[in-house]
Amino acid sequence: MGAVLAVTIGILVIHVNFVIFQGLFDAIVRDLTDYRFGNLQITDEEDYIDKSDNYLVNWFERIPYVYAATPRLDASAAINITKFGERIEETRVSVVGVNPLRDIRASTVHETVTEGQYVFSRNSIVLGSNVAKDLGGAQVGDNVKLKIVDRYGNDKLKRFIVTGIANSPGGNGFDYSVVVHIDTLRDMMDRDGYTGSIMVKLNDPSKSTELKNLFLQTFPNDDFKAETLEEVAEAQLSGFRSGIAMINMIGYFGMMSSAFAIVTIQMMLVNGKTKEIGVMRAIGAKRKDILIVFLFQGLIIGAIGATVGTAAGLGYTIYAKETKMSFNGSLPLEVTIQWDKVIQTALTSFSLAIIASLYPSYRATKLLPVEAMRTV
Amino acid sequence: MYNLNKVYGEGDTKVHALQDLSITVNKGEFLLIVGSSGSGKSTLLNMIGLLDQPTSGKILIDGIETTTLSDGKISEFRNHKLGFIFQFSNLLTDLTVLENVMLPRQIQGTNGSASEDAKELLKIVGLEDQMHKRANKISGGQAQRAAIARGLVNHPTIVLADEPTGNLDSVSAQNIVQLIKSMAKKLGQTFIVVTHDRHQFGDVDRVITIKDGRAFEDEKPSKLEVPA
Repeated sequence: MGAVLAVTIGILVIHVNFVIFQGLFDAIVRDLTDYRFGNLQITDEEDYIDKSDNYLVNWFERIPYVYAATPRLDASAAINITKFGERIEETRVSVVGVNPLRDIRASTVHETVTEGQYVFSRNSIVLGSNVAKDLGGAQVGDNVKLKIVDRYGNDKLKRFIVTGIANSPGGNGFDYSVVVHIDTLRDMMDRDGYTGSIMVKLNDPSKSTELKNLFLQTFPNDDFKAETLEEVAEAQLSGFRSGIAMINMIGYFGMMSSAFAIVTIQMMLVNGKTKEIGVMRAIGAKRKDILIVFLFQGLIIGAIGATVGTAAGLGYTIYAKETKMSFNGSLPLEVTIQWDKVIQTALTSFSLAIIASLYPSYRATKLLPVEAMRTV
Repeated sequence: MYNLNKVYGEGDTKVHALQDLSITVNKGEFLLIVGSSGSGKSTLLNMIGLLDQPTSGKILIDGIETTTLSDGKISEFRNHKLGFIFQFSNLLTDLTVLENVMLPRQIQGTNGSASEDAKELLKIVGLEDQMHKRANKISGGQAQRAAIARGLVNHPTIVLADEPTGNLDSVSAQNIVQLIKSMAKKLGQTFIVVTHDRHQFGDVDRVITIKDGRAFEDEKPSKLEVPA
């Protein structure tokens, strides 16, 4: 029972680790994909894309495995809020220009708008929740003024009406930015027809590299830079990946601990059954018969432990998936059941249980019947 | 057995448990081995039962020289040719009485008639209604009866009993003695019984007294005197 529990807990720990840390990683990837980069991001090698955004978006959307594409433009600005004729606060923010009609297809940023609605006109602005806080608690309906330095070094001022406040669980959305209409931002920056990036969302994310190559082959002379999510967010993801690898290692060390627990428990079992082993040997059981008995026991321990542990692990995984598990209102974990990992974990622990039974089984075979039977 | 010697330890701590012991046991004979504690009688039984190896000498059973057999062959030999009844019944408590009795046959791999033979023996020893109980749920006397059935189930050449009544009250002990003797008679089975209480077994075919590792042959128990 103890040995079965050791295997079960070993597997459960790996599943829990996987759900939490892989879920967290996948949630970050999901948010980066949905909010910022898509599965493929197109930028210009130098500064801005000067080719028509409509042309590029239409080019992408003709491809069957592309779900949607949308242009984005980024800038930084000073923002202040005036209430009852009095300027209350001023702070600096990053500004994201979006095409509202296309953006709601290619991105889920609009879903993070918890109050009011997403950008819908040239003078509407969505404030990130942290920006709203920095502005002394800006609310929907308030007037804010953006000051941007255009391409010629001139300050451009424009007043906006706050139409929404964005607040993303986990903070990977535009909580520290403001969102405006892309054409408004182009006007303010005096960059009519320019685009900062094209965010492309795929039906099948595994085809991002294929699409990247196709795009670069199609537009070889435009100085475009195409990056998959893994490339564009490499810095953000690589550290996390190492962390996950380390957590997985800890999980597998946990499994090794279970194996040692099995060795200990099996040794205790051999010690507890010494007399019985002696009797078995006396009435004709060969060493290999004793070996088989204890190995079979290890096999049963492994099989039951792996089954119960996997069932418990899957139960936890499904629970986390169905409830969109998150911690303290942070970003909901992106939980997936990876059957290859599930099977690999179950088989590894099953094998370890058998391997862990080898030494105790061997010890059992080495007992001399006449001495073993003297054991009380 | 020819010139059987068993020496434990070395140098100053050397102990001769058996010394130049030669005994022949005839088929169907009921042989009682008696002696005081530490005389070497159990050591002798362990040698005959191939549970221990003699330091020198030979043991032949059914014409087979057993001291040169490999470990695997010894196990096989014990399983096919020998039956054991221990002082403590030594039943496996995780198994039922019937499963315990069947065990030697299951080890042999002759499961076919094992169940029937085991049930028949349990009927003979009076445990017909106890056979499906766990071994730890029956009394000491019943457990020893089951052990006798287990010792006989493989139709052994010799049944070796080491103080088979040593752990029982006097009434149970007497019942077991009667059972062993009746089984020996009924089956024509060779029995070698080690006991410290020779009178408990009454009239038997032969009695050998072991003292200081040596054998003192061999009179009818009624005439035999315990060596001084």
